Amino acid sequence: MPRFLLASLLALVAAPALAAGYTPQVNYMLNCMGCHLPDGAGSKPNDTPRMKDFVGYFLKVPGGRQYLIQVPGSSQSRLDDADLAALMNYIIEEIGGPSRPADFVPYTAAEVTRYRAEKLMDVKGTRARLIRELQALGIEEAP
Amino acid sequence: MRFLDHMFERSTRLVAARTSRRSALARLGTLLVGGSLLPLLPIDRVARAAEAGKSGDPGDPTACDYWRYCAIDGYLCTCCGGTINTCPPGAEPSAVTWVGTCRNPADGKDYIIAYNDCCGKGACNRCLCNRNESDEPMYRPFANNDINWCLGAKHMSYNCTVARISGVAK
Repeated sequence: MPRFLLASLLALVAAPALAAGYTPQVNYMLNCMGCHLPDGAGSKPNDTPRMKDFVGYFLKVPGGRQYLIQVPGSSQSRLDDADLAALMNYIIEEIGGPSRPADFVPYTAAEVTRYRAEKLMDVKGTRARLIRELQALGIEEAP
Repeated sequence: MRFLDHMFERSTRLVAARTSRRSALARLGTLLVGGSLLPLLPIDRVARAAEAGKSGDPGDPTACDYWRYCAIDGYLCTCCGGTINTCPPGAEPSAVTWVGTCRNPADGKDYIIAYNDCCGKGACNRCLCNRNESDEPMYRPFANNDINWCLGAKHMSYNCTVARISGVAK
């Protein structure tokens, strides 16, 4: 119920993911689906970006691979590093569709630990820079 | 009165003339055996779990202690003209929502519940339910359910909250 209004940019939604060892699909439902919607289409009016058929493109530009782990919805989730790695691999494979790079190397837990230790201070600015670099490659952000 | 007397006497005699004790016993037997076998027929209990108030989904969806409300914070749409899955007439569900898990006492499984807010009408103000299992403080906004999830709807006024089953957590 409404006591606060909060713009939840890039937000993944709350997840009582108390029991570890959920499948990546269930972790997607618990941690991402609330805002990014069940198919990853996102919600424009809520500033929730589209992941469906797009999220894999971030791996094409420098810093994009870290960015997907460092966005608050990923890095601040209650998932441990191994579960977050598995979830991001699921998102790239299952939600990313054709945006998944042919040479995609799955995230590992150790890699996620490294990225997570580094805080992303300017989320919006970083995203805007990555989107500009994608545009330079001829990839437009999906509506 | 005499008319009633005649009518009942006639119908009683008719039953007595046409049936025997043995046939009554046979029918009673059918009823007993059939009645006990009926619950064993293959019934789609999974589909029934989507409806509230059935054997696979025990409890009263208008009461705060109903199992699906374990992480809710809001007015129950079931008290506001809606159902457990749908908004009241004139209100629209928010696209984005708060998601949690609740254990169904019928099968002991954890279900993924989406608490979509219904938006575009004034606050319902009936059946306030605030249980907040797994809710975290506001400084972890993604894990906090005090947020008005109507913020992305066409009309941001909050009316009530539904509790839809999205899947089983495993």
